[in-house]
Amino acid sequence: MKPVSPNTLRNAVVVFLIIGILFMALSGFLRPVLGVVMDPFVAAQRWLSERVMAVYDFFTLPRDVTELIQRNSELEDEVANLQSQIIQLQEQLQEADILYSLLDYARSRPADEYIAAAVIGRDPSPFLQYIIIDHGSDDGIRYGMPVVTQQGLVGRVEAVTASAARVQLISDAQSIVNVSLQTQGADALVEGSISGDITLEMLNQNISLNTGEILLTSGLGGNFPSDILVGQVVDFQKTENELFQTAYVQPVVDFETLRAVLVITNFQTTNITPLTNETTR
Amino acid sequence: MIANFISIPVMLLLSVLQTTTISRIALINGSADIILIAVACWGVKEKGYNAFVWALVGGLVVALNTAMPFYIPILSYFFVAILAKLLFGRIWQSPILMLIVVVFVGTLFQHLLSIFYLQVNGVNAGLINSMQNITLPSLLLNLFFIFPMYVIISDVRQWVLPGEDYE
Repeated sequence: MKPVSPNTLRNAVVVFLIIGILFMALSGFLRPVLGVVMDPFVAAQRWLSERVMAVYDFFTLPRDVTELIQRNSELEDEVANLQSQIIQLQEQLQEADILYSLLDYARSRPADEYIAAAVIGRDPSPFLQYIIIDHGSDDGIRYGMPVVTQQGLVGRVEAVTASAARVQLISDAQSIVNVSLQTQGADALVEGSISGDITLEMLNQNISLNTGEILLTSGLGGNFPSDILVGQVVDFQKTENELFQTAYVQPVVDFETLRAVLVITNFQTTNITPLTNETTR
Repeated sequence: MIANFISIPVMLLLSVLQTTTISRIALINGSADIILIAVACWGVKEKGYNAFVWALVGGLVVALNTAMPFYIPILSYFFVAILAKLLFGRIWQSPILMLIVVVFVGTLFQHLLSIFYLQVNGVNAGLINSMQNITLPSLLLNLFFIFPMYVIISDVRQWVLPGEDYE
């Protein structure tokens, strides 16, 4: 048998020692010894690391905050822009809805020709019920043209400039519209007032009026086309000693929220003033 | 001179504001008249006669938009300018109190003139009804707009005529 060399024996002892130390370390027998040896190093490492991180934060954190503030500002601007765009799109959507409604109305009366116009203002005087629209003589608007919406009659053009026109609403105190009762066919007048309320006047006492009666333009007088919805009777007064009945009318158009209107451009108004002068003479 | 020229853009701007926004702010059937208030604000702060130019420009600008005859706004605003001139420095030496009086009386005059015109033209305006439903609410709204308008016109005056204000 070949004798074991001293080197091999020494190596084997070293290996066994290492394995033994590892085994003892893994078993936890060396923990107190390792603690005594390693704790100062760990403490020194922690101390140094904290200082290094503090120095690192000192140099890097302010820059990050600045970047964050700048980024936050950019995002806030972006949010504000997007909100503004949302409002604009909602406005456009509302306008599109109104225009679609007007288009539907125009399609339902193909004989008439229309120009759509936006309402851009109201008369400054609280005694008058007028609106200002954004189309004028350059667009083909002329004095006397009837103005409607998809709901019904609005009024008629009373003054025109090149790029705008003033429309007298049917609720104006100086407005008179010839109407007929839808169910009975009787003729009457719808008059406005300074408060903006409209009333049915000159209705024969013999007519049996009911609330809810629908009023349409009769076409008499030549100021408006016939069969345009005007309003609905909400209440009426029938006094025996009066020649005519009076009724309160709810207009179908909400004049306070008007945003767009249609001007009927192919309707020829009739000037009957010479005829009335002849009659009175 | 610049005080007269500046009245043109200011009145045009106020007129746009009046027709698009202020006329839509209604109390019962009344609405404010910021041009009348602007003329009054200018009038109560100066010894000169620029307020008459402001009244004329304001009246012409309103006449472009309203269906009322052109002389009604012009006369109304001139009345306000005259009233401001007459009362200048006489009411407790305070422009704000004088302004309230001028706007109050000026609004009454303007509305009485409008009612008179409508009555003459065959509209049954009804004095009591008009006063209740239009004039009184308009007065209230006008008084509400006095203070913001006073601040704006004061700033315009400081810019155009620095150091010439009556305080």
